[in-house]
Amino acid sequence: MTDTSLMLAGLVVGIIFGFVLQRGRFCMNSAFRDIVLMKEYTLLKAVAMAIVVQMIGFHLMATMGYIQLYPKTFYWGAMIFGGFIFGIGMVLAAGCASGTTYRVGEGMVGSFVALLGFMIGGLVTKGGALKDLTLYLQPTEGALKAITTENAGPYVGNANLTLANVFGLDPWILVVIIAGVVLAVLVWKRGGEETKAEGTLYEKIFKTGWNWWITGIIVGIIGIIAFYTFQNYALGISGGWFGFLNALITGELPRLGSGMLNWFTFLVIGVVIGAAVAAVIAGEFKFRAPDAKRLLQQFVGGVLMGIGAVVGTACNIGHILSGVPQLALSSILGGAFIILGCWVAAYIMFMRG
Amino acid sequence: MSSDVKPTETLDVRGEVCPYPDVKTQKKVKKMKSGEILEVILDYPLSAERIPRSVEKMGHEILKTEKTGTGEWRILIKIK
Repeated sequence: MTDTSLMLAGLVVGIIFGFVLQRGRFCMNSAFRDIVLMKEYTLLKAVAMAIVVQMIGFHLMATMGYIQLYPKTFYWGAMIFGGFIFGIGMVLAAGCASGTTYRVGEGMVGSFVALLGFMIGGLVTKGGALKDLTLYLQPTEGALKAITTENAGPYVGNANLTLANVFGLDPWILVVIIAGVVLAVLVWKRGGEETKAEGTLYEKIFKTGWNWWITGIIVGIIGIIAFYTFQNYALGISGGWFGFLNALITGELPRLGSGMLNWFTFLVIGVVIGAAVAAVIAGEFKFRAPDAKRLLQQFVGGVLMGIGAVVGTACNIGHILSGVPQLALSSILGGAFIILGCWVAAYIMFMRG
Repeated sequence: MSSDVKPTETLDVRGEVCPYPDVKTQKKVKKMKSGEILEVILDYPLSAERIPRSVEKMGHEILKTEKTGTGEWRILIKIK
């Protein structure tokens, strides 16, 4: 694809993604936090469904030769530290990277403040005052250096570890087992939490929040389309925002040649637009802000998310939504520590005493 | 319709972010006495769907969930 068509494709995928995020209230911070905080599993089920749909979709496309999988590099120290910091940050920011982005489109000023912190924290850690932290945790030599493989196995386009190639298994064995177990659990635990289905089809799509399984399946399909259009990776949020602020500050356009930042930057701008459209149609768009203390809390959370996403090489979307379905070991470890950080912060902030 | 039930107390959590509307509602509900009515006013969409679910799970009764304006909701809870 040419740069222009790639940018346009990113924008279109982003708009659809943003629309679905808003309609499905798809936020991983809520999904993971609510398990411990409220024994609520609705959003978790949507996340699990999206992962399974993509796991099958990515491997099908790779088997048919339409894409190659690109699991992220396995820097184990970076994944543990970055993931944990990101997880703490998203509880303070009141939204994960995608949740914060779609809520900006709903008119939530606190999420906009968190987003500013997120971009600043990211750039500071990428090339600024904290870049040594990144270099320390992602070294080319020494104990913390990346672990790679010589036998990446079928469908994998780089030398990075997956759950399949690390054990020398055919990925399909794991895909069938994992997808089978998760789907069985989802069907078994399906009931009782759906949005009350009344009204016309138009109202169900545009006015009321979607059922978790519809949201999950559609997010999964968008991820598959994203991987096919972009080829280098599926959905991601952090890289796009860091590229956006970097372009504003330096005056340099995101690397045009590689198409890398173009795709992600236009994707995140699309998410805000799509979420705004969905919120306006549903009568849910409203400029609203919490008090000063909460705004500051969200800003600090955003900064921590930015640090975590750069050190850990991805946010919740890059790791949990896009990396786990590729069976990437980096994303499984990073994702686990995002969830752990989220639980620790949720316990300290909401559950003591 | 909304005038037929008189709330004992009102909790206005407009402006609050995830998950404070839910957490504050649950705290309030736990402090209130049986038979009392809590009115929650909020402008966070996810909580408007999640509060009725979680409060019903706690055993209380949702008398009403209504959208009162653009991005605003009102929930009436009867304490068990």
